[in-house]
Amino acid sequence: MSRLCTGLIICLLIGAHVRAQELDIYGYFEPQYMGLYRGSNYYQINSNKLRVDLKSSSIENVEFGANIIYLLYFGKKNWNILDFLPERITSGVPSEIQPLFQLTYKDSFFLDNVYIRLSNSRFALMVGKQQISLGTGYFSNPTDVFNVKDALDPTYEQPGHNAVRMDLFLRPRLSVMALYSPLEMDWQNSGKLVRIKVGLGHFDFSVTGYEMQHTSTDFYTFEITQQRRRLLGVDFVGELLGLGVWAEGAYNFMKQDDDFYEFILGIDYTFESGLYTLLEYHHNSPGKTDHTEYDLNDWMRYFVGETKTISQDQIYGFIQYPVADLIMIGGSTVFSISDQSIALVPMVYYSIFENVDLTLMLNLYVGEEGKIFSSSLGNGGFIRAQVYF
Amino acid sequence: MNRLFISIKIALSVILLFVSGVQLYAQDDMTADEIIQTMTETMNPEQAKGKIKMTIVTTTGQERTFEYNTFSKNQGEKSLMKYVKPKRVRDQAILMLNNADDIWVYFPRTRRVRKLATHAKKQKLEGSDFSYEDLGSSDEFIDEYDAVLHRDEKKQRKVCYKLELTRKPESSAGYSRILMWVDKETFVPLVIDYYHDVDPELWEKELVCGDIELIDGIYTPMKIVMYNKLDNTHTSMEFIEIKYDVDLPDNLFTEMGMQK
Repeated sequence: MSRLCTGLIICLLIGAHVRAQELDIYGYFEPQYMGLYRGSNYYQINSNKLRVDLKSSSIENVEFGANIIYLLYFGKKNWNILDFLPERITSGVPSEIQPLFQLTYKDSFFLDNVYIRLSNSRFALMVGKQQISLGTGYFSNPTDVFNVKDALDPTYEQPGHNAVRMDLFLRPRLSVMALYSPLEMDWQNSGKLVRIKVGLGHFDFSVTGYEMQHTSTDFYTFEITQQRRRLLGVDFVGELLGLGVWAEGAYNFMKQDDDFYEFILGIDYTFESGLYTLLEYHHNSPGKTDHTEYDLNDWMRYFVGETKTISQDQIYGFIQYPVADLIMIGGSTVFSISDQSIALVPMVYYSIFENVDLTLMLNLYVGEEGKIFSSSLGNGGFIRAQVYF
Repeated sequence: MNRLFISIKIALSVILLFVSGVQLYAQDDMTADEIIQTMTETMNPEQAKGKIKMTIVTTTGQERTFEYNTFSKNQGEKSLMKYVKPKRVRDQAILMLNNADDIWVYFPRTRRVRKLATHAKKQKLEGSDFSYEDLGSSDEFIDEYDAVLHRDEKKQRKVCYKLELTRKPESSAGYSRILMWVDKETFVPLVIDYYHDVDPELWEKELVCGDIELIDGIYTPMKIVMYNKLDNTHTSMEFIEIKYDVDLPDNLFTEMGMQK
């Protein structure tokens, strides 16, 4: 069904192009070189990513869009996740299932987004594979069940999701969003979301309700459990005492497992010098407070994105300063309050040419073995270029 | 009968325009506040729609060029910018309401709208020498500063009112002091000197307006250059297109308008 939709939309796109010759083609090429020191060994995994965006607005109030991603990996493409976990955990994993923990970076070529958007002054309907971003948090978004951010690079673009999305703009700062995310064409198990957003003074508030199928994997047996999950979330963003403030939280009602909740509180400020600072506190109730209790399921669910963090409380900090006209330096840090480990991520950004950016980012883990930011996970970094066309 | 009525109406309008014009030029005893008010009205027409080319020149002489569409309403109280070039920021939009007290940025790659707090007004716009505050606060000179009128001075061979603005104690505006030279004929500020937030003697930026043209009955500086005296950089903004005779819908200045 999704292939049929994709084909239909591409036909419409090409049709629109033939009709009006108004198809915009743009995108970027992104080579990335990533190195990792672990113990006395050095590894590298590199990639070349090409993203081509197609967009047509040749018919009034109708937008067709798509992007195609071609991703090639080279270097060490095969990894076994068990190599990164404490021995007390891996020693209990039967040797016959150890190959199942193999992670392979495969070259890929896919349509990441492909959609039609119909809109007028008060209404928008978007059908197809599309970007979905929810919530006000920077490090994590408790109300966003579609995406899991990379703690070390949280603003990097997220994959597209199949959905039918409708936005109603009732007043200038009052809108309602309804979203249906089909899953195997089963209405009951598909995602259904309603979000109301209202602006009051210098604040924006949102309330989100979502029902979906929740999947969790038992990595000792590789059995998959699915159950109904209902989420009630709220978020706001605004200003208090001159500081930017925001909060985002969600309570999850589970059909079988225990209910859980997650929230984030954040502040930011820009100094006269241009120095930008941001601080967030994140609490994830399924996370653990004692790192000796982290088990195989905790680690694996974290690596595959079934849970957002394995430690319960963390603080995220971000700082950025324009050291020269085209150069920004800064970095981020994640400190796990629960297990007292820390990740440091210094960063340099350089707009080297008009449409060429360079980013250098390091990740330095300072923590004992078995903690979320254990130095035994390896220290490294990457250099990434983005060439826009 | 109808034609006669129209003729009388036109004649009355011409007389009124003439009288008001004469009054404008004759009022050499205008107060500082009146000059600021007239200048603000001149620089912030009821509605505007245009395309701007912004060129940033760095300390090393490198150039970065941006092009964006701009829309404003309610004398600049609402404004919207949508980037056209370069590709890196294409379709990114910035919405400023309440004279830039409320700012939202739309990122098309993630389809995310992020609200910024007012401290973000101090941030440079795409690394340029303009801050959000420089672009969005249409009534700032009236509300945030006390003005004093000095003796007339010439700038760009035009006789100008020279005004000194000092930030009000309760204000959070980004500059402690401002000097400006307002053309007595057009009420366009030809030069504005901005002084540092903390040190009122530290000259931070200079704005120079040039190529003034009469468009839809409004004097418009077609080129504006902001010189950063501390970083030795400058940024120019040139109107590629500008129209004042437009009727922009209110819903353009919303999240929906940013994404459309």
